[in-house]
Amino acid sequence: MTRPSLRPVPRPPSPAGPRALFGAAPPGARGPAPRPARGSAPGPVPRRARRRRTAPLAAAALAAVLLLAAGCGGRATTHHKPGTGHEQATGNGGTLLAARDESGHRLRELPAADAPSVRAEARPDTEGGWNVHLTVERFRFTPESTGGGALAGRGHARLLVDGREAARAYGPWFHVPSGARTLTVRLYADDHTVWATAGAPVQTTLTLTPSAQSPSARTPSAGASSAPTPSPPPAPTPTGRTLDIRVTGSTVTPAPSRVELRKGERITLRVTADRADTVHVHGYDREAALAPGTPATLTLTADRTGLFEVETHESGLVLTQLVVR
Amino acid sequence: MTALPPRPLPLAHGVGAQHDLPLSPFYAYAGAFTALLVSFLGLGLLWSSSRFRGDRAGRPLPAPVQRLADAPATRTALRLLGAALALLFLAHLLLGPDDPDRNPAPGALYVLLWVGLVPASLLLGPVWRLLNPLRALLSLRPPARPRPVPAAVGIRPAAAGLLLFAWLELVAPDNTSRPVLLAALAVHLAVQLLGAARHGAAWFAHADPFEVYSSLLARLSPLGRRADGRLILRSPFNGLDATPETPGLVAAVCVLLGTTAYDGLSDNPRWITTLQTSSLGPTPTATLGLLAAVALAAGCYGLCAGTLRLLNRALATPLTSFAHSLLPIALGYLVAHYFSLLAVEGPRTVMMAAGTDNAPSPAPPLGPAGLAVLQVAAIVTGHVLGVVAAHDRSVRLFPPARAVAGQLPLFALMIAYTLGGIGLLIA
Repeated sequence: MTRPSLRPVPRPPSPAGPRALFGAAPPGARGPAPRPARGSAPGPVPRRARRRRTAPLAAAALAAVLLLAAGCGGRATTHHKPGTGHEQATGNGGTLLAARDESGHRLRELPAADAPSVRAEARPDTEGGWNVHLTVERFRFTPESTGGGALAGRGHARLLVDGREAARAYGPWFHVPSGARTLTVRLYADDHTVWATAGAPVQTTLTLTPSAQSPSARTPSAGASSAPTPSPPPAPTPTGRTLDIRVTGSTVTPAPSRVELRKGERITLRVTADRADTVHVHGYDREAALAPGTPATLTLTADRTGLFEVETHESGLVLTQLVVR
Repeated sequence: MTALPPRPLPLAHGVGAQHDLPLSPFYAYAGAFTALLVSFLGLGLLWSSSRFRGDRAGRPLPAPVQRLADAPATRTALRLLGAALALLFLAHLLLGPDDPDRNPAPGALYVLLWVGLVPASLLLGPVWRLLNPLRALLSLRPPARPRPVPAAVGIRPAAAGLLLFAWLELVAPDNTSRPVLLAALAVHLAVQLLGAARHGAAWFAHADPFEVYSSLLARLSPLGRRADGRLILRSPFNGLDATPETPGLVAAVCVLLGTTAYDGLSDNPRWITTLQTSSLGPTPTATLGLLAAVALAAGCYGLCAGTLRLLNRALATPLTSFAHSLLPIALGYLVAHYFSLLAVEGPRTVMMAAGTDNAPSPAPPLGPAGLAVLQVAAIVTGHVLGVVAAHDRSVRLFPPARAVAGQLPLFALMIAYTLGGIGLLIA
């Protein structure tokens, strides 16, 4: 029997990220500026109050102008989003080069000013692997028109894990399973030609170092670049440090102690118990079932600071404490 | 081989999955050094005749404020608020899911009430006296002829209640489960209502652990009442100086010190190993540990009081005369140990009570370094307040020639408590 399920702790990947989307409302989005009621102050209005009364009016007018200017930049005739107008079909499709990529797709050259660019950043996932985020410029993911003609600024990305093509990305976020050493993201047009500038494909390469090596857990690399990736250093296992714990009766070997971890570091707990039980990491709320005599492993990224206990549910033993600084 | 304990060990505090990081040596040394420095500076530089005037000091608040505070309507409203909160608590406890992660009742008891009373009492005075739902219950059928509580009883029943509550919070197995909480509530209700049936509402001021806890912490509040009943703003030192020297004061303060110290100890891996391998079983061992921590705090104080008595034969009650100066130290311990619990689990409990399923823990308001500074600052501030309070009391009670010497045992005791408190934060 296990304890009632413990709550998962949903966390935004970074405190600044999602909040920034909602952070600052445009001045016009806050509704009409408050104005004092007309009938409430029949007497003579003091000078200070009169001046204050004009300020909201001016602010409201300014907000209205800003709204008008921001909402319909450029032409005011239609409301096509950028890249969806009727004139798109005549867009600049670039020039085909003779060069091909590993799988035989030809390169499609654009002048540097029109060529898209891509940047990627990866952060370790708490359950293994990496969450990768792409930042593209002058480029839109167009899954709906894949296979169509090449239009500048449209297409998809292909993901090459350790040099082998693994998947396509039709959006900015995806996950790379653990075990990968390098990740190359290359931009393709809808007709599967490679976007290129100055004769080189538009791509970026990440070295997926285990987070123990880089506490910030991010390895952004340069934007559009075709430089061959420097051979990655022989990366240690992506599971980080390993802690072996054996539970016999009510004896824990080694005796409960504190494991000091840096924030972002990964740790693998390998627990062997002499009876069926569940091991639980408090705070992270990670669990693993224990079968008698069989080691169970639990890998986690220590991404919250604090002191967390690793406990068995049935026997109620504290196995160790994780000290994350 | 002993049989395995069938029940899991309790989490410290009953609720909350995260503990504070151990203090880094830098903060510990900085705090210890400040405490020592302040003690010796205080010994040499502080005033030589008593300055605190207890409950005769203070600046009266404007009359309308006093009228508002004393108005029967205000009192009734607070009484009703307390009763409503108690009913809400009971409803959640009885009808909610039996799971501390989804039921706000355990958090309401261990975090909102127990820890929340600290800031509330520090800011507003003895608030639980006004909110206490037991008083509301009693006012429905007040006893016809209440007998006065014997003077020798003092606040001893409350000290015992505080110890039992600390045992429930820090030692009792399954202390967030419905049966355990209901049993504890039943015992509490029985003791309080039987006593109140005999002695009337005055019983609560002597026996309700939460009311005594709140009243003791309120001695340090800037808001207080003068001897003549006026609502005043005062220096916390004067409030502290006016702490009534009732029997049981020493016991209550030592219980607060000892149990909070045990809370720090219970995070220590060596103590955890002791608990898990003890042949007595974890719960009896933890109970003994809790009692030993209280006994140690009390023993140190007894030793100190005995030395004071040797230094000054005229001192009639060395134990109670200086007990008030330990209150700030206990407060420092409480803040250092429970601040992050209140800041993280308090809002989560409120969110759960408001109906949020799977309420997330809010991010801690302070980073590790900020929290370490706060913890050390709380303990050192408590120490400084205690030193000053003890100094003033000793220059009043000792003849001038022996005033400095008379303080030495107290200062040694306070330094021991403070270093011990900081040591437990490292552990």
